[in-house]
Amino acid sequence: MGNFSLREFFKIPDYDNPNELSFGEIAFDETKCIKCGMCAKICPGAAIAFDIRPFMKPFPENQCMFCGCCSAICPKDAVIMKKPLIAKYFYKPIEHGDIKTPRLFTD
Amino acid sequence: MPTIERKAKKVNREDLVERLKQDFTETEKVILRRRSVRLYKHDQVPEFMVKRILEAGRFAPSAGNCQPWKFIVLRDPSLINAITDDVVNICDLLRNMVDYRKPGASWMRPMVKFNTRIRKNDLHPVPFGAIPMIADRKLGLWHGAPTVILIFGDKRGVSCPELDCGIAGQNMVLAAHSMGLGSCWVGFVRPAFDYMLKWKKYFGIGYPFKFLSSIAIGWPMGDPDGMVARQTHAVDWYESGIKHVIY
Repeated sequence: MGNFSLREFFKIPDYDNPNELSFGEIAFDETKCIKCGMCAKICPGAAIAFDIRPFMKPFPENQCMFCGCCSAICPKDAVIMKKPLIAKYFYKPIEHGDIKTPRLFTD
Repeated sequence: MPTIERKAKKVNREDLVERLKQDFTETEKVILRRRSVRLYKHDQVPEFMVKRILEAGRFAPSAGNCQPWKFIVLRDPSLINAITDDVVNICDLLRNMVDYRKPGASWMRPMVKFNTRIRKNDLHPVPFGAIPMIADRKLGLWHGAPTVILIFGDKRGVSCPELDCGIAGQNMVLAAHSMGLGSCWVGFVRPAFDYMLKWKKYFGIGYPFKFLSSIAIGWPMGDPDGMVARQTHAVDWYESGIKHVIY
């Protein structure tokens, strides 16, 4: 069945099990962060909380889909994009590579 | 009246290629910096700018040049809020039917998973997580954008009309961002057209038109556009009889 085993094709991951559905992960560069709170304000997944400084909420509330809105709006480029949303089984990512910013190929 | 050049100026190809190695083109920058904007100012977008955005959509490529789209522009806050309220109410109902993560709702799990396998696009983890957030108004629908473009597809279109409408939509989104506006694709309005007769009637939408998606447009708050990192995807590259996989 192409990229799927029969089990994967029929098994839907448990959305409340962090082993079967892990949301995106970002980190904050403490030396660059000016604590403006824009990342928490813009996050569509309500994954970032702001309390003196921004931090990622733990699993059940964290709905990070790795959109990069926080990284784009950050005036100091203090957001580090670490890991995308990864679901297992039926929704597993197929042939995804590393996390990279736009590349200007010149050769 | 300003003069508009119908054709681009001819440029020497070697110069052009050398210049490309120095930097992205302006068009590439708009594409690479475009982010879905979810924080808008209240100020309305000038009418001519919205018309220019629609013009970018009008000149999108489509299969057999069939142009299978219909756009509806909403600029009345009362109308935008009324649709939003209905979608919030539908999401509130849907949440009670699908959210098995709530305490005491785990008995729904097998049923919801069966449904997920059938409606795999609607119950993917991301929309699944968005349903309760929209119901609780933690996630806005059009995020307070003053202008909304609804995109309807003509089912009689050549080949794949949904794709053609997507291309027209992307043209409009990129045009908006090139003007310094923000935009966001919003597909979650579909329940208002799928489950309610009210809005279809209100807009006079019937066969052959089908709601596909919508685009929120407005002046962004802060500076949300910018290049970010995201995952690469394997691309199979066939050349000189050899297959390479590039990322």
